[in-house]
Amino acid sequence: MPKSAEVIKVEGLAKVYRSGEVEVNALQGVDLGIERGEFTAIAGPSGSGKSTLLNIMGGLDAPSSGRVLLAGRPISEMSGNELSDFRRDHIGFIFQSYNLIPVLTARENIEYIMMLQGVPQQERRARVAAILAEVGLQGMEERKPVQLSGGQQQRVAVARAMVSQPDIILADEPTANLDSATGAELLDTMRDLNQKSGMTFVFSTHDRMIMERPRRLVELRDGRIDRDEVRD
Amino acid sequence: MVLLIRLAWRNIRRNTRRTILAGLAIGVGLASLIFTDALMIGMNESMVRTATDTFLGHGQIHAQDFRANMEIERTIVDLEAVVASLKREEGLRHFALRTQAFAMLTSPANVGAVALFGIDAAGEMGVSKIDEAIVQGAYLQAGDRRMLIGSNLAQTLEVEPGDRVVVTVAQAESGELAQEMFRIGGVFHFNVREMDGRMAFIDLGRAQELLGLEGRVHQIALHFDAMERDMHFWQRYSQAGNEALGWRQLIPELDAVLGMSQYSMAFMELILFGVVALSVMNTLFMSFYERLFEFGVLRAMGTRPARLAALVLLEAAGLSLVSVLIGVALGAAFTGWVAVTGIDYRGIEVGGVTFRELIYPVLSARQFIVFPLQVFIFALIAGVYPAVYAARLMPAAAMRESF
Repeated sequence: MPKSAEVIKVEGLAKVYRSGEVEVNALQGVDLGIERGEFTAIAGPSGSGKSTLLNIMGGLDAPSSGRVLLAGRPISEMSGNELSDFRRDHIGFIFQSYNLIPVLTARENIEYIMMLQGVPQQERRARVAAILAEVGLQGMEERKPVQLSGGQQQRVAVARAMVSQPDIILADEPTANLDSATGAELLDTMRDLNQKSGMTFVFSTHDRMIMERPRRLVELRDGRIDRDEVRD
Repeated sequence: MVLLIRLAWRNIRRNTRRTILAGLAIGVGLASLIFTDALMIGMNESMVRTATDTFLGHGQIHAQDFRANMEIERTIVDLEAVVASLKREEGLRHFALRTQAFAMLTSPANVGAVALFGIDAAGEMGVSKIDEAIVQGAYLQAGDRRMLIGSNLAQTLEVEPGDRVVVTVAQAESGELAQEMFRIGGVFHFNVREMDGRMAFIDLGRAQELLGLEGRVHQIALHFDAMERDMHFWQRYSQAGNEALGWRQLIPELDAVLGMSQYSMAFMELILFGVVALSVMNTLFMSFYERLFEFGVLRAMGTRPARLAALVLLEAAGLSLVSVLIGVALGAAFTGWVAVTGIDYRGIEVGGVTFRELIYPVLSARQFIVFPLQVFIFALIAGVYPAVYAARLMPAAAMRESF
């Protein structure tokens, strides 16, 4: 990905969901820029549009209007395959409910993206071992997701998102299903990885305690940015 | 690809009960198809064998138009040359000379109209099974003055071996009526209504004398090593006023029944493939909707749409492979068992032919190669729809819909 001050740029983003006759405005004209290496939280109550914004930023969903530029390139101009390849090589996702593939072991889950990228087996194994050590899960490579606790599964999900060294990590409420101690611990791990690797982290949360930790906080309310502050 | 195959196989094994149930549904269908096809072949072979071996033969030679108008004068042209030629034919196991005429049989009790055949007792044994069908009395001998009649006719005439009947026929050329008395030598029972009620056999020499034919015959029945002969054979003997016909032309209703059975099989196949398609699609979609979130995640991680479609198709292939193995095993076991025990359809009439033997299903390579392959390919085709559906999924929508 070419160097650019704003690695993600969102312009006039709107998203309308239709459920029968009812229209729900999930996002209403959101403008946002995320700079390389930022550690940003998108906060807001449930239904404020956090997940929708993250999904559209990652090309997982299409906006009703407005556009998203990743490294200066509008994702609406990318074909299905280009967008898939872009996500594979540049974006790592972490989801609220871990979303590991249950039939694959922790190692296989983490290896998956690297296999899509064609990374040789030896290098894959080395990178898996290193990232698992970093998230504190050494020796758990061959465990299936059901054999791991919620916190451990989310750590595998973090490892999976980061192992291919993407430019951006988008995390949708990564701590929501964890107890507060495990959640704080996970956030520390993410923060640590952000500082070491320089990856851009954007994550959503509605947890007040978690909101206080990142440097930049963007608060959404009814699909609009209510507050955008950078703290020292 | 290895990763996709691994993923697909593990997904198939993930819900073992569902996979086995779907496999059984498709497998039982395939097994039914294998069994039905084997039974059809067995039935068809038995019908043809019954029709040809009982009396008809695998083919016949007549004078042209004899079959249409049954005129006594229409005997085989240049019989000596035809017989000499037949003796040189390879693959012709036996042939038998026959006369055939309408006759009236009169007993002290009743009168009956019959098709009266003059037969060469010894030669006939290589072509038909009259000798094996005798249930009272004894089979004919050369120069015999006795007559064989069917069991139903014997009941109508109220006669039994040793009793006398008078035969009345119209003679060749003159058309004069001729009568002669015969003793009943034997009663046959083929369990075929037409034969048991309307046929009688006398010695060929006596018949020629009675009908004024002087060494001439109406029919030569043929029995080959193989049931079918090529067109050249029939053309060779359909010359100089004669016509030679195979069993398909002699009993076209049986040929039609055999043709119909092929349509029935095709229809059965169509139904089975419908069941296969629905089972595969149903199973794939059930599994698919259960894992929508996973598909969304795979797409989010950068899996291209075509790869996701390939994963679904691989699952369809795996499922159909399991089903085909189940079907082949069940089909081979059940059909193999019945092929040993046989099915008793004796006495049942189909297409003018009454089964006289147990029906044994006939196993063939087609049932175990072509049918499973067809089911496998059909299952793959059925997997295309869910595969395309998966490929078109918007990752966020997949993850949202799975909640």
